[in-house]
Amino acid sequence: MNRLLQKNKMILMIAVMLIAAIISSFSVNRFAPKPMQILIPSNFPKPTYNLQSNPVTEEGFALGRKLFYDGILSRDGTISCGSCHQQASAFIHGGHDLSHGVDDQLGRRNALPIFNALFKKTFFWDGGVPSLDFVPVNPIENPVEMDEKLDHVIKKLNASAAYKILFKKAFDVDEITSKELLHALAQFMGAMISSNSKYDKYVRKEGIELNTDELAGLNLFKQKCSECHATDLFTDGSYRNNGITNDFNSDKGREEITLNPSDRGKFKVPSLRNVEYTSPYMHDGGFETLEEVLEHYNSGIKESITLDPLLKQNKSPGIPLTKNEQQQIIAFLKTLTDTAFLHDQRFSEQH
Amino acid sequence: MKKNHLLFLILSIFISISHKAQTVQLQFNNFFGKEDFVFKKEYTTAFGEKLSFVTLNYFISNIKLIKKNGSEYISPQDSSYFLVKQADPSSKKIVLKNIPKGKYKSISFTIGVDSVRNTMPVEKRTGCLDVGAAARGMYWVWNSGYIFFKLEGKTVNEVDSLRKNFQYHIGGYGGYDTKTINNIKTKTLDIPVTKITKKKNPVININVDIAKFFDNITPVKIAEHRSVMWGDFSVKIADNYVNIFNIGEVVYQHE
Repeated sequence: MNRLLQKNKMILMIAVMLIAAIISSFSVNRFAPKPMQILIPSNFPKPTYNLQSNPVTEEGFALGRKLFYDGILSRDGTISCGSCHQQASAFIHGGHDLSHGVDDQLGRRNALPIFNALFKKTFFWDGGVPSLDFVPVNPIENPVEMDEKLDHVIKKLNASAAYKILFKKAFDVDEITSKELLHALAQFMGAMISSNSKYDKYVRKEGIELNTDELAGLNLFKQKCSECHATDLFTDGSYRNNGITNDFNSDKGREEITLNPSDRGKFKVPSLRNVEYTSPYMHDGGFETLEEVLEHYNSGIKESITLDPLLKQNKSPGIPLTKNEQQQIIAFLKTLTDTAFLHDQRFSEQH
Repeated sequence: MKKNHLLFLILSIFISISHKAQTVQLQFNNFFGKEDFVFKKEYTTAFGEKLSFVTLNYFISNIKLIKKNGSEYISPQDSSYFLVKQADPSSKKIVLKNIPKGKYKSISFTIGVDSVRNTMPVEKRTGCLDVGAAARGMYWVWNSGYIFFKLEGKTVNEVDSLRKNFQYHIGGYGGYDTKTINNIKTKTLDIPVTKITKKKNPVININVDIAKFFDNITPVKIAEHRSVMWGDFSVKIADNYVNIFNIGEVVYQHE
């Protein structure tokens, strides 16, 4: 009798284990995040980011977006990525020359737009971070930005039941680590591709023409600006001193990374896409309007040892531009506005 | 029941065999001169500066063991990164497994993290390299790269008894796309010829003398260099600390 009972117990146990195994294999099979296609525009260079090692999925993208707009990344919960990278301002901090972090602390440099991150060689004005994966760690840990520690963010996320479910869906993990957090953010930022401006449709011959002023502006741009603002990303990714100042005591730019005095006062050449919406301009946010920017190149260049050679080709430093030429260039620059991108609900905070 | 016994026997044999694979243990011991290195204890540098410490961490990576005949055992790259933290005694013990048996004459390791690993994507930064866990405080976020060697503490100013902080955060892997400071140091140390067999698993003690961090090729006077991070003087400090790693006793753990 006893024996029979034991046997039955055994059978029951085996049955339970079998069912558990089936359920667990079923749930493993169920981990199937939906791949999200990332279309590389035909007029763009190849991505620098390896999408194979972090393939974008609907779940990963949505998680990255939630994180992007969540103050949980900051020490006191008040600052999210979206605080200083606002979609309506082409993902820069509209109306702020320098951005505010936690406790209203002021940053040192103007926030850069973050779209087309897949194609960037390096990140930030000084190029201090070479990989998209590690971009978010900089603002998270910067004392004047989010003033948080990455390991503490990971702890907060692991303490959140809602986030644990989302990470499980996107990455099939029970324990969130920096890898999943940074992959999710890279997926969201990486998917932000701005490539459907009037100029893009013109250059890709999609049935859109530029008007006379815009065309004249494009030609002037090609002659006078495109050596630095090169390719259809409108930057060559280099670091240059464009004569904003000749006092580098408060910010040495690229030299702070390379420690090479010949890099003093050099900053990353920014993309000009959506430039109509990314005011204020330059690393210090010193210019409010495109007119001020163009006039700076015409007459405002301040000389210093590291001033870019391209700005020293004439008797006086700078790029001579008549008012009319400046207006034509601005007309062209406005064709780089990608309205569809700026209003793409996929990149907006979801409510 | 008998079957269970047999299974247990097979299992235990299997476990004991896998345990018997040759291992080498590196034991890092921090000192200040002849004294043990202890946080908050007061020491005096060769230049008469009185000080105490609160942080001492360093990365040890890419460990190689060199045989008497010159052939090398290189520990597998993905599992060859270790962060030694004074605050965590277990981190001072590095166990290398599956070492080929033989007679070994020297050991070589990197103090820091090689340049390739400094630029790898996040999925390659696991264990002590995880910037969101173990590597907290050992990574520059604004100038992507690991801090190889971190020493922090306070000096004791006898006149006004003000305690002042000092910090040395030394890193720099040579630059991603532009050449810059490279403070990656490789240290090769001779060891008394050490036989590694299944039965003889050596423990190699590596003694690290923090007093020599200050008193070395370039004298480091805290009053003059209270905070050294990303900058030219970091090269002098790295040139100093490569000399503070020395072989101590080699002892055998017998089964």
